[in-house]
Amino acid sequence: MEVERIKFERSGGFAGMTIARDLKLDDLSDEQANTLLELLDDLDFQELPEQMTAKESMPDQFTYVITVETKKWKHTVVTGDASAPEKMQELLEFLNRLARRKKKH
Amino acid sequence: MLFAPKPLREERVRVMHKHSHVNCFVPPHILKNIATQGTPAQKNLAIDTIKLTARMRGQRQALADFSAATFRVAAGGKDRVVYDAKNGSSLPGTVVRKEGDGPNADVAVNEAYDGSGVTYDLYNDVYQRNSIDANGMRLDSTVHYRRGYDNAFWDGEQMVYGDGDEDLPEDERLFNRFTIALDVIGHELTHGVTQFEAKLQYFQQPGALNESMSDVFGSLVKQYQLQQLASEADWIIGSGLLTANVNGVGIRSMKAPGTAYDDPVLGKDPQPGHMRDYVNTINDNGGVHINSGIPNRAFYVTAVELGGFAWEKAGQIWYVTLKDKLTATSKFQDCANLTYQVAGQLYGDGSIEQQAVKKGWAEVGLTVGGSEPPPTEPGGCLEALLRMVGAAPAKN
Repeated sequence: MEVERIKFERSGGFAGMTIARDLKLDDLSDEQANTLLELLDDLDFQELPEQMTAKESMPDQFTYVITVETKKWKHTVVTGDASAPEKMQELLEFLNRLARRKKKH
Repeated sequence: MLFAPKPLREERVRVMHKHSHVNCFVPPHILKNIATQGTPAQKNLAIDTIKLTARMRGQRQALADFSAATFRVAAGGKDRVVYDAKNGSSLPGTVVRKEGDGPNADVAVNEAYDGSGVTYDLYNDVYQRNSIDANGMRLDSTVHYRRGYDNAFWDGEQMVYGDGDEDLPEDERLFNRFTIALDVIGHELTHGVTQFEAKLQYFQQPGALNESMSDVFGSLVKQYQLQQLASEADWIIGSGLLTANVNGVGIRSMKAPGTAYDDPVLGKDPQPGHMRDYVNTINDNGGVHINSGIPNRAFYVTAVELGGFAWEKAGQIWYVTLKDKLTATSKFQDCANLTYQVAGQLYGDGSIEQQAVKKGWAEVGLTVGGSEPPPTEPGGCLEALLRMVGAAPAKN
């Protein structure tokens, strides 16, 4: 999978703060890039449903919008903390960490 | 009741519980009976099984409706369970403290336990409400959710707390653990109360009212514990949540929305405190955590105008409005009108309480009850006396 960029947006949450990051693979360390590619690969990211949100509201949960772009395809999924499938949790945790660290410039 | 079960041995229930994880071996009606009539230990096991099964089937609202009838506590007292997710994402996690257990070595566990206890006390002692569903529902909290989870939420069934930025180097941490702030705990539990009462949609103005109700009662829980007068309270939501690396006093200010933080990394608190600054956005479910600043300030102004303890009069007016008046699609103007109406019903039309509510909403740009004070009996006693003797026109 030749991933070129990943857009990550996290909104909502108790604090209501939105974090948006445009992650280019070239900007990540080799270790980070490898972990990310593995996680996306394991998930078959392009096969995930576009909407994975709960029918009922879950107050204060984060909403995530994740877009992955490769040379061949581009796929966006929207999900929330408790509504995301179990297999996505590791990816959410990883992207969350990257995004929070990026807050510090 | 479908049947009156004999007291079951705990081992038997545990076996059923284990099986039900796999194939829902125990029929729901039996679990329901155990949940209502079993010993405390059986009750907990049955409730856990019902919840897990509902979760597996994605029946969140079914569970909320079910729990209203089921999760009652025989003694009518508070019933708390704290779970540890052990940095994973599976809910609820492992039981680490149950009602009546002594303090745990883990501070987050104790904060969740004590905080949900104070929240229960405010609702029970002041508003005569027995738990989230007004029917003794067990209060479940999970701590240590995921790693580096800088948030807390209500998932429709329980409270969930993260540890903040504990996974980052100390000089990069912005958030402490979310159980650190008592008002956050009161906030999350109030989302449960709203789910059972007004059912405010979590979107745009109804969503911002949902958020504001959580901030109002979250703040009142803290004030109640500290026995603070309205004039003494800081009216900050999430005090202690931000680390020393952040230039801020908390997440929101009910007194002065938009002033809680102003930081090079976090940015500036975006909350408006007046309708003219209402923020239209698609993020955050239509700005539910942003525009809540407007009704938050209306409550603050009302409470300070009335003086004394905010949970007594202002809190009572807001509580009755949440319980009996607001609906899923209520907007700010509806809330303004309804709190004004409730103040009139509780304390009298034209009362100082009703006037304080009117002032609260006027401060944020919303008019209630017309531009003049509402009509009272013209002339009061004299007018009535004159009517009695036929010297004044009779009232329609």
